[in-house]
Amino acid sequence: MSRMNSVIEAAGLTKRFGDVVAADGVTFSIGRGQVLGLLGPNGAGKTTAVKMLTTLLSIDSGSARIAGFDVARDPESVRQVIGLAGQAAAVDEKLTARENLELFARLYKLPRNRRRSRINELIDRFDMGSFADRPAATYSGGQRRRLDIVAALVAEPLALFLDEPTTGLDPRGRAEVWDSVRALAAAGTAILLTTQYLDEADRLADHIVVIDQGRTVATGTPVELKAEVGRDILEIHVPTDGDFARARELTAAVPGASVNADRRQVDVPITEGAEQSLRLLRTLEESGVRIDDFQLRQPTLDDTFLALTGSPTKPLEEVQP
Amino acid sequence: MTATAQPTTAEPAIAADVSALGRLRRSTEDTATMLWRDMIRTARQPEMLVFAVVMGVFFLVLFNYVFGGAIGMGAGVDYLQFLVPGVFVITALQGAQQTSMGFAADLAEGVTDRFRSLPMSQVAVIAGRTIADAVRNLIGLILVALLALVMGYRFDSAAGAVAAIALTTAIGFSFSWLGAAIAAKVRQPDMVGMLSMFWLFPLMLASTAFTPADSMPGWLQPFATYQPISVAADAVRGLCEGTPATTDLTLAAAWTIGLLVVFVPVSVRLYQQSP
Repeated sequence: MSRMNSVIEAAGLTKRFGDVVAADGVTFSIGRGQVLGLLGPNGAGKTTAVKMLTTLLSIDSGSARIAGFDVARDPESVRQVIGLAGQAAAVDEKLTARENLELFARLYKLPRNRRRSRINELIDRFDMGSFADRPAATYSGGQRRRLDIVAALVAEPLALFLDEPTTGLDPRGRAEVWDSVRALAAAGTAILLTTQYLDEADRLADHIVVIDQGRTVATGTPVELKAEVGRDILEIHVPTDGDFARARELTAAVPGASVNADRRQVDVPITEGAEQSLRLLRTLEESGVRIDDFQLRQPTLDDTFLALTGSPTKPLEEVQP
Repeated sequence: MTATAQPTTAEPAIAADVSALGRLRRSTEDTATMLWRDMIRTARQPEMLVFAVVMGVFFLVLFNYVFGGAIGMGAGVDYLQFLVPGVFVITALQGAQQTSMGFAADLAEGVTDRFRSLPMSQVAVIAGRTIADAVRNLIGLILVALLALVMGYRFDSAAGAVAAIALTTAIGFSFSWLGAAIAAKVRQPDMVGMLSMFWLFPLMLASTAFTPADSMPGWLQPFATYQPISVAADAVRGLCEGTPATTDLTLAAAWTIGLLVVFVPVSVRLYQQSP
């Protein structure tokens, strides 16, 4: 994508804290209506990247532009066109939702005659009418997070930064946030979404950047990333620990094979088609390994993530059945 | 980057007005907004007003009835008349300590992070707070003055009373910026509370707020005469008594302005640094 078309553009963003390189040459660009998922485990440098892009943290090297404004040279212009919703809901607890939105609308210098209609519109659109006139301190986690995201939207930002917007939310709250993100992207907002949840990135992002320890380890669409693992996986479940130990031994030589002792599960990448699967299963059978069941499946983003970073992502237990 | 979304040229956004006049207008507007917000917060925490006057009330009652006899006899004056202006200044100082602890608590709230990402004047974040605290302080001072009147205190004139309370509010306001600077540096509310003991008590007790300087040991007298609380107490006392001394008023004004000149920029700078 050309420089002209990108709303959010990061080129070689780097930040050091002492000896720790929190962000190491992070590069991406996000166009209008696009959602980029910045994915990585805790401490990967996602928040550091967001803070640099939103003028909250100085950039050690590299550069960033938002809607054409240089983040380091013209932070004041950048602040006019961005909206930020952080990990902790950044709203005034003593104020009601309506008062919070009024506060931020004033600080964004929305003209007085547009403020009230804009606030009412947001309260309606995000279904906040039932709690809009109670102080935020009384809200549920989901309500507070919703207000936090809506507060970032008051001035119709060109670029929206959502830093782990669903962390700590229940499934309903998470679904609400997802709907909002889709609606905003559809309306043309460029969105940077950080998440620890692969499932979330898979559902929302057009493009994913995987970072680990500050470094970009992979980029691509969800489909491309899954394809990067590049092969089907034979997933085998065995009934006893003895069978598991034996199966593990027999598959250890296959490149990329992995095991899960708790589930007595062995995953073997299949590169040579059905013939290989059959051969493998026959070998196990001949060695006396009993098999509960097996299936040949497509790789998930989890497999990709494991392959890329060596550490699994957080499971999304609350959402998955 | 990718072919998934239809790339459209971003709308040209208007750059921020960074001229001096633009900044000044923005600062004023934002300070008014933040004051509006802080006044709502103040109104929703009426207990803070109690905290604002409690120290003044304690000192007024305790010093007058407990120590008053002993101190008054030594000085050969009506101690209540001496004490009340000192208590005003102490009340204002207490208000500044509240700014310090309240601002530290604000900084711990996530909303401060949002303020930093907004296209707003960052001075306004602190100014809204210090001005709102000055308003609360003013109400507290009026309550303390009413109690003093009930206890038998007499102002020389109504104009003197108004001037005394106005000067005290101004001094409290300047100390609020000192309090905000400490909060912005230290950040943890508990720690800020502990630290205030270190600057609050020496300033308060080694001052002419409760006792005349000439009753103190010689080595302490220069400090006790010229430190801001003493200067403020002497100036306020003059206004209350109808005998304002130019030296006292000038010194009090100098301290007020001096504290503002130093701690407005310092507190803003400390606030803007990432924790």
